Amino acid sequence: MKTAYCFDLDGTLTKTEVLPCIASELGISDEMATLTQVTMDGHIDFEASFKLRCLILSRVPIEVVQKIILDIPLDKSILKFIQSRRDSSFLVTGNLDVWVKPIAELCGCRLYSSEATQMSESLKIEKILRKDTAIAGIRALGFGRVVAVGDGANDIAMFNASDISIAYGGVHSPAPGTIAACNYVFHDGEVLCKMLEAL
Amino acid sequence: MQDVRSAVIAVAGMGSRLGLGLPKCMIEIQGKTILSRIVNTLRSKVEIINIVVGYREEMVIEYCSQHHRDVGIVRNPNYKTTNTAYSMALGSRHLSDKVIYLDGDLIISPTSVEKFIQSASKHNVLVGLTDAKSENAVFAHGYQDNKDIINLTKFSRTEGSSYEWANIVSGPANLMENAERYVFEHLEGLLPLPGAVLEVAEIDTPEDLISAKAFVSERLV
Repeated sequence: MKTAYCFDLDGTLTKTEVLPCIASELGISDEMATLTQVTMDGHIDFEASFKLRCLILSRVPIEVVQKIILDIPLDKSILKFIQSRRDSSFLVTGNLDVWVKPIAELCGCRLYSSEATQMSESLKIEKILRKDTAIAGIRALGFGRVVAVGDGANDIAMFNASDISIAYGGVHSPAPGTIAACNYVFHDGEVLCKMLEAL
Repeated sequence: MQDVRSAVIAVAGMGSRLGLGLPKCMIEIQGKTILSRIVNTLRSKVEIINIVVGYREEMVIEYCSQHHRDVGIVRNPNYKTTNTAYSMALGSRHLSDKVIYLDGDLIISPTSVEKFIQSASKHNVLVGLTDAKSENAVFAHGYQDNKDIINLTKFSRTEGSSYEWANIVSGPANLMENAERYVFEHLEGLLPLPGAVLEVAEIDTPEDLISAKAFVSERLV
């Protein structure tokens, strides 16, 4: 049976949340971090919050955003795991394709993300990713078993659609709702990947 | 025979006989929790440690995030209606090597667990025994096979013996598969089995806790 390994991006593969890093360009990283945190904890609707955060951050040119994102440290164990299983690993993120594409290219795996089009001075959000729909799409590729790794409230839908779900607290503790929806909790990337290899 | 590479520690139970309102593994004895004592004892002896959580899982998960980030945590959301054997089966579900299974309410002498793990590599299943002393002992009957191994033939709650079931066993990763009763009852179906004696104090009742504190003072300091 083929197994797909699906990883959230922000706070799972990346060692910090991405949007506050972009917001630092505008001098509002603290405010963005707060908004991101309450969203990840599930206190406000992910889609509405994400649209608002993208609207604010769309003032930063895409090239600048991509450069910032490539400077964000990644979990080395997870990166190595993905790079060693490029055909069966997937990044599943609510973040925008135009922003996070360089990380997917670095990983060499397929990306399921929200989508946006660059306009003259802003971004037009075309689609907000539903993570359960993404998992269904990955299953349709012929994967009989899906393993999902994430940390935030927006990963719960991905967990519910997967066969094995793992809350990862490499950067910060996973949201309580995320823990309540998972099978396993890990706090160390190396230990997590050892488990993934054993599956 | 195969070496023991993984450990599964079951801490999901409510510990209702002790009545402290927290998982028994979180009880501190001489400034160190039972969980930390077990994890620290096993850390250098196995590659993977999985802890199966249930009752007040958030407390144990938070504790591990601060003190034992290198363990895997396996959730048993059905801890109220399932037993230790079920938790152990969950904890070893995706492991493939030989596993040492332990209850999370034990104080174990590090030297005796090291000896047990070494001996476990020579047996498909090795049952942990200890000198009979706990309040609700499950007595173990058998005969001495050689100086380190007892050939275990029977468990009994009523018929006394020098040894009791220590709530520790090593075996394949599927040892607890389909186990519906207590762990020792599951093992009864596999008897006769080799057993090895460990220095262990189990904590089920307030009296056991007093004995465990004395055990730590006398044997582990």
